[in-house]
Amino acid sequence: MSFLELTNVRKLFGQVAAVENFNLHVERGEFVSFLGPSGCGKTTTLRMIAGFELPTDGTIRVNNKDITFQPPQKRDTGMVFQSYALFPNMTVADNVGFGLMIAKKSKAEIKQRVDEMLGIIKMFGLGNRYPYQLSGGQQQRVALARALAIRPQVLLLDEPLSALDAKIRISLRAEIRAIQRQLGITTIYVTHDQEEALSLSDRVVVMNNAKIEQVGTPFEIYNFPQTEFTAQFVGTLNTLQAQVRDAARGALVVDGQEISTAQKLDGFNAGDAVTISLRPERVAFYGELQKSNVLNVTIQNITFLGSIVRIQVRSGENIFYMDEFNNPFLALPKIGDQQQITFSREAVLVLKSGDARGKTF
Amino acid sequence: MKRFPIFGWLIIVLGILYFFTPLVGTLEWSLRIVSRDSFSLNAYTNVLMSERFQRTFGFSFIAALATIVVSVLLVAPTAYWVHLKLPRLRPWVEFVTLLTFVVPAIVLVFGIVRVYSRPPFSLMETEWGTNFLVIMGYTALSLPYTYRAVDTGLRAIDVRTLTEAAQSLGAGWGTIIFRVIFPNLRVALLSGAFLTFAVVMGEFTISNFILPGIVSFGPYMVNLNQTRPYEAAAVAIISFGLTWTSIGVIQLLGRGAPGQLAGTR
Repeated sequence: MSFLELTNVRKLFGQVAAVENFNLHVERGEFVSFLGPSGCGKTTTLRMIAGFELPTDGTIRVNNKDITFQPPQKRDTGMVFQSYALFPNMTVADNVGFGLMIAKKSKAEIKQRVDEMLGIIKMFGLGNRYPYQLSGGQQQRVALARALAIRPQVLLLDEPLSALDAKIRISLRAEIRAIQRQLGITTIYVTHDQEEALSLSDRVVVMNNAKIEQVGTPFEIYNFPQTEFTAQFVGTLNTLQAQVRDAARGALVVDGQEISTAQKLDGFNAGDAVTISLRPERVAFYGELQKSNVLNVTIQNITFLGSIVRIQVRSGENIFYMDEFNNPFLALPKIGDQQQITFSREAVLVLKSGDARGKTF
Repeated sequence: MKRFPIFGWLIIVLGILYFFTPLVGTLEWSLRIVSRDSFSLNAYTNVLMSERFQRTFGFSFIAALATIVVSVLLVAPTAYWVHLKLPRLRPWVEFVTLLTFVVPAIVLVFGIVRVYSRPPFSLMETEWGTNFLVIMGYTALSLPYTYRAVDTGLRAIDVRTLTEAAQSLGAGWGTIIFRVIFPNLRVALLSGAFLTFAVVMGEFTISNFILPGIVSFGPYMVNLNQTRPYEAAAVAIISFGLTWTSIGVIQLLGRGAPGQLAGTR
């Protein structure tokens, strides 16, 4: 038995399905992220776990107890909201201790737990401040402490970092992960930011159009996407138009140049048009590395992105990107240069449908 | 070079003259009770020492407090629930609260008298019943002010998220309303309360037709105007002072309130 189980969960708003056939088992202490674009159903699913929405069908169980129709206040879940939702009329200490006060804990116990929580979020001594006296990052740390203070069975975070600036977002997400590991609390995290999901989670649930596209570790999701949507949504992805030359040995043709894939091409025949995907970081200039596939390309554009340099190249009809790690001695080609690029057979992924050809995601 | 906005200033001066000339005239009149050549506060002392003033003022004061309690308990939970669960009903609720602007008070009085002076609701036969009806009438009259004040307060806070945050921490509806929502509507509730206070203290129609004799402050002022003109002017000035003090308190309490809202905006 898993700690949190969602079985055949479905949610309709009128005739519109917000969540369809959602099945997920989360182990105790696991950190799982729901990742997907706006409107994919990730927040609705989280709100069903919290009890703010009731499923149209299906069951939700926590610690082997059916909570599907329990009111939110009986569920023993802690929730952190995008807008912090701190109570403006209460001090930091009162906010953190609110759930404990509701649970009728003694004053001494509340004070001890509040101090402990303020220590964990590194805000000890700021208990007398009001929310309006804190920065956005501090407010969200207080919201986290408030949710954790009641020691909930499941911690739910609904895009908690999206209102913060980039630097604070990165430092706070590391803090959230560290606190979650320290307390060993089962956590569901909703985000549309793939970097957040990949860097924080034990597992990622990629969602699209109300359904789960793929569930896996960040490594699996990034390197072995099972659907075209996952491949396109997670990370930057080139798609190239190709033709199957020999399905048995994985041979393909891109603009008259033969390449090969390690992927089995069962069901494809010679001459079939396919779309292949290629991560920019898996492509290198021939000479730096020599891999099984080589393509002649023309340099179209060069963009400096800080830690990496993104180079746009063209091979016939296909325009795509390759990434080079930045270093002060990097010898970059010039725009218009003819170059050879190389990539491994394993880097070439044949996508099932071919409606996204020639695009970079 | 910035031009002097002469037209704007002209409007302001005309406005001040229009509103303040009668007030200054009334004040000046109230001070001439002894003779036309000297000022005296005798009209004010006469009024303040009068038993009728104290009785009617006291009645209206207590009635105003009762009206505030009834209005707040009626309007705040209703407006909260409409914001949270029934946002589509908001225009209808607003319309209902505005009815007292559209329906004249005298019509409201006749409605009350017709319904509550005969069985099965013979409330007008007892003093308690009459007072109850007057307070309900005052509540109806103050609805537009109270509802608008509370509605504005609710729009300034994220009602849904605060409610959900409290729920996820185990709070029931009572705790959410009295410990989370109401404290964050403090300024709005006070605004509504002071406006209600000002309305009730000067109310004439309901008081005059439902209450027996001169019981409340509004009819007392009208009666005084017919019999003792200097004291009537003094009462008018006192009444203005009360209203302005109420508005001043609202402004004072409302100062800095928006900055105290936490969260993303």
